[in-house]
Amino acid sequence: MKKLLLALALLTIGWPALAQKNELRIYHWNDYIADETVARFEKQCKCKVVMDYFGDNEELVAKLAAGAKGYDIYVPTMNYVPGMAKAGWLQPLDHSKLPNFKNVLPQYLDTEFDPGNRYSAPYAMSITMLGYNDKKIRELGVPVDSWATIFDPKVLEKLKGRITVLDSQNELMAAALKYLGYSVNDRDPKHWEEAKKVILKAKPYWAAFMAQGYIKELASGNIWLVHGYSVDIFQADQGAQEAKQNFRVRFGLPKEGAVLALDAMVIAKNAPRPDLAHQFINFMMDGRNAAELTNIIGSLNPNKAALQHIKPEIKSIKAIFPDEAMAAKLEMLKDMNARERRQMSRIWTEIKAR
Amino acid sequence: MRPGWHMRAYKWLIGGPPLLYLLVFFAAPVLIMVVASFRFPGEFGGLSPLVYEDETGRHLDLTLENYQRFFADLLYLSLFFKSLLYAAITVLACLLLSYPLALLISRSPKKYRDVMVLLVILPFWSNFLIRIYAWILILGPQSVFVGALNGVLAWFGAGPVTLLYTPFAVVLGMVYVHLPFMVLPLYANLEKHDPALLDAAQDLGANAWERFWRVTFPLSLPGVYAGAALVFIPAFGMFAIPDLLGGTEGIMIGNVIKQQFLDSRDWPFGSVLSMVLTVMAVLLAALAALYARRSRQ
Amino acid sequence: MMRRSPWLWVAGFFAYAFLYAPLVVVIAYSFNDSRLNAEWVGFTLDWYRKLFRNEEMLLAARNSLLIALVASAVSTVLGTMAGFALYRYRTRLLPVLVLAPIAIPEILMGVSLLLFFVLVGIALGLVSIMLSHIAFCIGFVAIVVRARLEGLDESLTEAARDLGATPWQAFRLVTLPLIMPGVVAGALMAFTLSIDDFVITFFTSGVGATTLPLQIYTMVKISVTPEVNAVSTLLMVLTLALILIASRLSPGSLRGR
Repeated sequence: MKKLLLALALLTIGWPALAQKNELRIYHWNDYIADETVARFEKQCKCKVVMDYFGDNEELVAKLAAGAKGYDIYVPTMNYVPGMAKAGWLQPLDHSKLPNFKNVLPQYLDTEFDPGNRYSAPYAMSITMLGYNDKKIRELGVPVDSWATIFDPKVLEKLKGRITVLDSQNELMAAALKYLGYSVNDRDPKHWEEAKKVILKAKPYWAAFMAQGYIKELASGNIWLVHGYSVDIFQADQGAQEAKQNFRVRFGLPKEGAVLALDAMVIAKNAPRPDLAHQFINFMMDGRNAAELTNIIGSLNPNKAALQHIKPEIKSIKAIFPDEAMAAKLEMLKDMNARERRQMSRIWTEIKAR
Repeated sequence: MRPGWHMRAYKWLIGGPPLLYLLVFFAAPVLIMVVASFRFPGEFGGLSPLVYEDETGRHLDLTLENYQRFFADLLYLSLFFKSLLYAAITVLACLLLSYPLALLISRSPKKYRDVMVLLVILPFWSNFLIRIYAWILILGPQSVFVGALNGVLAWFGAGPVTLLYTPFAVVLGMVYVHLPFMVLPLYANLEKHDPALLDAAQDLGANAWERFWRVTFPLSLPGVYAGAALVFIPAFGMFAIPDLLGGTEGIMIGNVIKQQFLDSRDWPFGSVLSMVLTVMAVLLAALAALYARRSRQ
Repeated sequence: MMRRSPWLWVAGFFAYAFLYAPLVVVIAYSFNDSRLNAEWVGFTLDWYRKLFRNEEMLLAARNSLLIALVASAVSTVLGTMAGFALYRYRTRLLPVLVLAPIAIPEILMGVSLLLFFVLVGIALGLVSIMLSHIAFCIGFVAIVVRARLEGLDESLTEAARDLGATPWQAFRLVTLPLIMPGVVAGALMAFTLSIDDFVITFFTSGVGATTLPLQIYTMVKISVTPEVNAVSTLLMVLTLALILIASRLSPGSLRGR
């Protein structure tokens, strides 16, 4: 026992003072900002950035709904912003402190999720699409420009057991709805039923529902095609190149259209340091800093001033920089109400249980 | 015999602190969620207000709807039974794998026992997710292990097997993560057995199997029950392993509960499922304990 | 006489092999010269070098270790007491309170603890995580200790009392050494549960109080680097060293002899 106490004492020595005042606390996704960017900001604001991480918007919401506090900035996906604002978890932005709003592309400003950008400032984006092993897909001759690849049994026959789909009720239903020609935000129970049938028919061919592991599975060559986020597919390709695989991982953007996710920075209601929070948001909307995001994680960028700083090899990827015709087919998911969530949950449980 | 008040004083002295701790840091918090199982989900997340006001005054906004939803739908009950089956298989497999190991440790020289016990638990100080990812590599179609296995199978004329993302992978993962919780109680029990009993049995002409089945095993039953409880109860509500290894078939009731708290933001229904799960698990454990006590008398 | 038939050796070896198969992979990939640990590329120490420059990760590892040490120490004491009370006295509430935290879904326990801490005004941080870990570890310790007590020779304790030992002395000098393997097993389980917990820790952690599982879980969402393998390996070695040093300092302290 004494030894234990001694060990504890040793561990506690040099504990950083917890109540360090001059710090900005960000609740963020992990690996969603370059270390150099953070270091530059710390130098500029003469403060320390403390970051904690969540793995999913729903985790953030669950934690805030139970009353967790203490952060200055959250980085949720745009469709969560209206609910968070309504729940009283956010404070309005002071636009006079955010001159860099001028750098943001107009189509990502003043959206229906946050009219006038009262609460949110665009951060980065990703598209839910197909990612594939180019060698295998060429051999099999499977099309990669349609959701049919993950839903049509005739196509799936060739990919059986080598394909994964996202473990997300919203994303998978959205893909099925798009495949059927509906909007990703369709709320008609009959259409949901149709989408469920499409999914159940395709399910036997899938290896797994996967939320995260598919990056590695693609890079290692175990899995040949995934339904996933463009940033993850980008990571998988980098991994495959580093491992000197004899294939590359490529992007396939379905012609039916897809889900676009815009992540945004918001300031917490009782943020201890709203001044630093505004400084940080403005800093991240600077072209050079925003560009670093795209350069390290391959995210789409809502910042027009960032374009000139983005590596040319990334700029040439059409899935990350879609043309106007394609961009018009992208939709952002809207949040459901409590009743709709219950219906969706029932459908999802049935899909997973069958 | 010591007087009754004396006994009671000791009872509270020993049982009081843990009881108090669990009342404050377990029962009180969980009570909030027990009540939540009768409430409505909030529009965006969390819970809707407990009290609402209209022209007739203030009312508690409680409902039985969440429980009705559960009992009216066989989908959820069927998942409970599926989970029960998986947990039972896990317990059996854990027992078969752990018993020889615990026996081996308890019969090794004293100076090696601590190290052997440490070796059992050491892998579990690395990270859960990383260990499971290691299993994904081992069970994956490109692994050396699966290649060798399929080579042997082909030799016997059997077709290649897929291991990853199957119910087999789920059971394997569940056995793996729960193994120490079977080995340790078993060891703690077997370690105290008196070897003289086995010598006596041998002198009476019992062979090795009889000595095990009629002496060692019956004496180790408290350890078996403890281990079975510590494996069964957490395995029943497991969600991480089916998520990571189960492919499209592996879902258990734990996944549905997690889904209610996250994706569906339906805390009341999540509470209902949790309450049913907890009551079932505790009842089963209590029944097993009762049966164990009976069989020993 | 030690009765260890060859079959026992074979079965025991198989169990160890099963336990260590994934661990070999974890450790091997911490030396692999590729950012995604999917393919073996070549040997490198880069991930360890990188790790020692990653303050965030080292701080999280230290938090994890500290929380696990405190939580396992406290829950071992409380759990042993609970195990005793369960064995010796007839109680109605305690058995349920011991089993329920093991049975209740972690996510519900996490959410309710967070609601509770906010309600009573306990700040979220290392302490709130410790308090939560203790709550779910007590049951594991209690059950093992109770199983160890079962069938123990009570006459020894009685004899000590008859010879004039106080109840505490009788416990300290006679009973405790007898049940020590159970207590140690319980403590090891508590430590293991605490150091690897994700769900409850996620909900009860506060600003700047991140643990290793939280760090790792969110890292693998976007990209998993072998740094994670390196830190896992390191944590394991460090914990083992701590325990071995502690047991070397007082011989037999692991078993209390």
